[in-house]
Amino acid sequence: MSQSLATQCNELKERYDTCFLKWYSEKYLRGIGTAENNECQDLFKEYNKCLKVALKERGIDKLLEEAREDNKENDAVYFGNKK
Amino acid sequence: MVLTHTTNHTYNHPFPTVTLAFFLRYCSPQLNPFANHVLSTDTISTHVDPDTGRLHTTRIHLKKSRMPPAVMKLLPTSITGGASDKASYILETSVVDMREGWMSTESRNLNFVGVLSVVEKQTYSAPALSSTSALPTPTTHNTTTAPSPNGTTDVATTVIFRSRLGERIRSLGHSQAHQDGGEGGWFARIGARGVQRSIESLASTKTQDQLGKSREGMKIILERLRQTGIIGVLELRKMARERSMEAA
Repeated sequence: MSQSLATQCNELKERYDTCFLKWYSEKYLRGIGTAENNECQDLFKEYNKCLKVALKERGIDKLLEEAREDNKENDAVYFGNKK
Repeated sequence: MVLTHTTNHTYNHPFPTVTLAFFLRYCSPQLNPFANHVLSTDTISTHVDPDTGRLHTTRIHLKKSRMPPAVMKLLPTSITGGASDKASYILETSVVDMREGWMSTESRNLNFVGVLSVVEKQTYSAPALSSTSALPTPTTHNTTTAPSPNGTTDVATTVIFRSRLGERIRSLGHSQAHQDGGEGGWFARIGARGVQRSIESLASTKTQDQLGKSREGMKIILERLRQTGIIGVLELRKMARERSMEAA
C-alpha cells in the first residue's frame, strides 16, 4: 500500500494491510471471513492507536466530525434515505 | 446548486476480483501508475457486521490538489487562504456484501468543502442472475482464463458536485462580511450563483477525465491479479517497498 499519512505509523500500517489483503482474498471472498475469524484485528488496533494521534495532530478528527454532520444533512436532501 | 453526473461501466472480471482491486487501487505506483497523485492511504475503521456478514471499511486518502487550479483562480484568497496546490483529504466508505454480490462505495472531500463538495458514489455488482439480464457474456478474447460463471462486474458511478460558496458567505452573515467588506462586495459584483455554477462545471469536466484514469488504473490491477493472483501482487508490493526504502 502507499504510505500512511503519518510516517511513524508506516510499519504498523504495512503489517495490517498485508494481513487484511490476505484475509480478504483468502477468507472473506470465499465466504469464510466472519467477524470472529478476523486475525487482523489485533494488528488493526495497534495501527489505529498510532493513527489516531496523527489524525488529532492534523485536525483531521475535526474534519471527520464535520463531514458526518454534513452527510446527514446532504444525504437527506440528495439521496433520500437509501440503505 | 448541484450538478450530478452518472456513468455505467462493465469490467470483464468477476465481482470478487473487482472488489479486491478496489482495495488495492492506491497500493503503489508500481502497481497502478494512475495513482501517482495519491500521497497516503489509511484505514480508520473496519468491521464485519455479525448479522449481515457485510464488511464495512472507512479509509482516508491524501491526494494532490483535487481542486482544479481554474477553480482556485476564481476565488478570493480570503477563502482559499492562497492554498492553490494544497492536498485534499478524501474520506472513503465502503460496504461489501459477498453473499448478495454487491459493493457500495462513497468518496468525498474533507477539506475545501465550503468551496466545493464532490461526492462520488459507486455500486459494483455481479450481473443479476435473473432471466432478463443473465445474457451469456461473449468471451472471445478471454478464453484461456479459469471459467467463472459471473465473469463480469457492473459499476454505476454517480458524482455530485455542490458549491456552497455563496451560502457560506451568507451564513457568515453580517458579522464577518461586514468587517472586511471586500468579500461581500466581490460577490455582489460577480454574483455568487454564477461563481457556484462555474466552479461546479469546471470540477465536473475535470472529474470526468479523472474517472477515465481511475478506471484505467483498476484495469491494470485487475490484469495483474488475473496473471499473478493476490500473492503475486503482494510480492510486487513488497519488492517496491524494499526498493523505496533502499533509495531513502
